[in-house]
Amino acid sequence: MTRTFRAHGDSVRATFRPVEVELLRVTRDELAAALERGDPDDPVVQRLFPPPVLGDPEVESELRQLFQADLLADRLEQLDQLVALLDRGEPHRGGVRIDLVEDEPLLFLGVLNDLRLAIGARIDVEAVDRAEVDEDHPAAYPMAVMDHLGWWQEQLLALIDPPAVRVHDLEELDAPASGDEPDRGEGPRRGGPPDGRTDDDPGGTG
Amino acid sequence: MGQLTGPSVTPVREPRTDVDVRPDLPWDVIVWDDPVNLMSYVVFVFRRVFSYPEEVARKLMLEVHRQGKALVASEPREQAELYVAQLHGYGLHATMQRSS
Repeated sequence: MTRTFRAHGDSVRATFRPVEVELLRVTRDELAAALERGDPDDPVVQRLFPPPVLGDPEVESELRQLFQADLLADRLEQLDQLVALLDRGEPHRGGVRIDLVEDEPLLFLGVLNDLRLAIGARIDVEAVDRAEVDEDHPAAYPMAVMDHLGWWQEQLLALIDPPAVRVHDLEELDAPASGDEPDRGEGPRRGGPPDGRTDDDPGGTG
Repeated sequence: MGQLTGPSVTPVREPRTDVDVRPDLPWDVIVWDDPVNLMSYVVFVFRRVFSYPEEVARKLMLEVHRQGKALVASEPREQAELYVAQLHGYGLHATMQRSS
């Protein structure tokens, strides 16, 4: 598996397979729909707009409304920008290639996080025991999607903020919490600063 | 918010004492563990929001990860609000409370 996000000059080049483009669009549409419904009992809404204040109901209700209005507008805007980015992409081997410039890698990173939070809230991932998730488990597919998007986040972080991914080099780390460490079945390729080096993708079978 | 600027000629007799409005009393900003946010992402957010050096950001992330929560800042209310709003924007589960 080659990297999806690679340094390309001053930009970040994203190369998505067709199935990945579809995955992004569908997952994005589901989140946008949930946000637009805005059902306060929806676990996705609850997770993306957590209560800001503890121990002071008055300040809590005041701030909650302020925060939620701002955050909702920001999130919907970012989801729209994701669509615009995907639409801007150039066809590449049946998929799409997009050069992300300026703050666009950050935008992508944040949207990926929202998408993963939404999936996790939808399946109540906290209550799922990873050890019991086989391929027939209802959480198997959503968790695979979360892991895949998480791997993309790691790639973006390695490009945007190399010190952040150095945390993976720590030997003192205890067992990662579920969801923290997608099992990638790959050699170690995290942690090192990318220093503009591009992974070669010499026309492999992809 | 809700700051009324009445006519300046009206003498203010005495300040209300039933509500603690001293703006300089700190509020604690707490980040809670969650099963979705990546460890590296949390370090990134701490670096970005608080401009913490790598070691500090990493130490706080590990505290969240291992102890379930960490005190990441203690600030006057307005600044604490800004931090919590930013942290929510990044998808972290953050709350603020009066410092005890």
